[in-house]
Amino acid sequence: MDKSVKTASTLAVAGAFAAALTMVATPGAVSAADQEKCYGIAKKGENDCKAGPGTSCAGTSTVDYQGNAWKLVAKGTCTTVKTPHGPGSLTELKRP
Amino acid sequence: MQRVFARSVLDAARTVPDGVTSHTGPRPKRRFDVYRNNVYVSLIDVLAGRYPVILRLVGDDFFRAAARCFVEACPPRSPVLMEYGDGFAAFLEEFEPARPLPYLSDVARLEWAWNRAYHAADRQPLSADDLAPIAAEDVPRLVFELLPSVSVVSSPYPVFSIWSTNISDVEVEPIDLASGGEDALVVRPHLEVEVRRLPHGAVGFVSALAEGACLAAACERAMAESPEFDLQTNIAGLIASGAISGYRLPGGTEI
Repeated sequence: MDKSVKTASTLAVAGAFAAALTMVATPGAVSAADQEKCYGIAKKGENDCKAGPGTSCAGTSTVDYQGNAWKLVAKGTCTTVKTPHGPGSLTELKRP
Repeated sequence: MQRVFARSVLDAARTVPDGVTSHTGPRPKRRFDVYRNNVYVSLIDVLAGRYPVILRLVGDDFFRAAARCFVEACPPRSPVLMEYGDGFAAFLEEFEPARPLPYLSDVARLEWAWNRAYHAADRQPLSADDLAPIAAEDVPRLVFELLPSVSVVSSPYPVFSIWSTNISDVEVEPIDLASGGEDALVVRPHLEVEVRRLPHGAVGFVSALAEGACLAAACERAMAESPEFDLQTNIAGLIASGAISGYRLPGGTEI
């Protein structure tokens, strides 16, 4: 390969890499701040709620879309989640 | 004796093996059939749990009938049931009654990748901060190590859209099969398995990286496969999805 071409593509790869690093603003995990508690959307046994470390009621909901069980979802998306009983809610619900 | 018994259980055409007896008489066919049926039903239940989207796509009756044929053709080879069901996608591809749904086997491949990722070894993903200290002149020679849970599923059908609406929506969104192929990345960066749609050209890029190619070589391969390939978006996507667990430089640093 021509040396100048090689240098150019090397620069392009390095540039893209550097740009990609700045693109990834919140790296890796989704932090708790980006999530919200959403009631009434979890399938049976798939709820996330827990009362602090060591205690947990995660996975204890007994029916689908139980109104007082919540699941963490991306912020701002909760009320757009569709269930057969209506959308998710940021506060506890009475259902099903 | 055990081998003969196992073979008779899985093959309904075989008779009750010698040595099986009950108080009603030797070689009790009906009792043996009950046992045989329980074995089948439990294995079919394993497959139904592993392939929830296939189950939803074809319905209970079709799924259980197809799964029964699969169990007959490919009984478990290992006592570890979490490894059972690997060949289901290949089976569906050849399964005559499934011919009208040609995308089915690719969806099954995606569900198997999900299962594989679920059970894969844990590894902490690297963040953008971890990668920031790499010197610019080293970047092209960089070899990434991907998480053990990473796999890529490529399909000529909109496999990601089909999977995602069937796994999460109460009412399935209509999907146009003619909308073209989709590729998906499956990875478990922390506790939850994540499935993401890959941009054009990313399959070649991620596959090359998984095979141990350096960044420049993987980029070259991706550009050869797809002129629309965008390196920056792809690197950012890989880091954001938590798919990178380490890197090394030939003859140098290792993290």
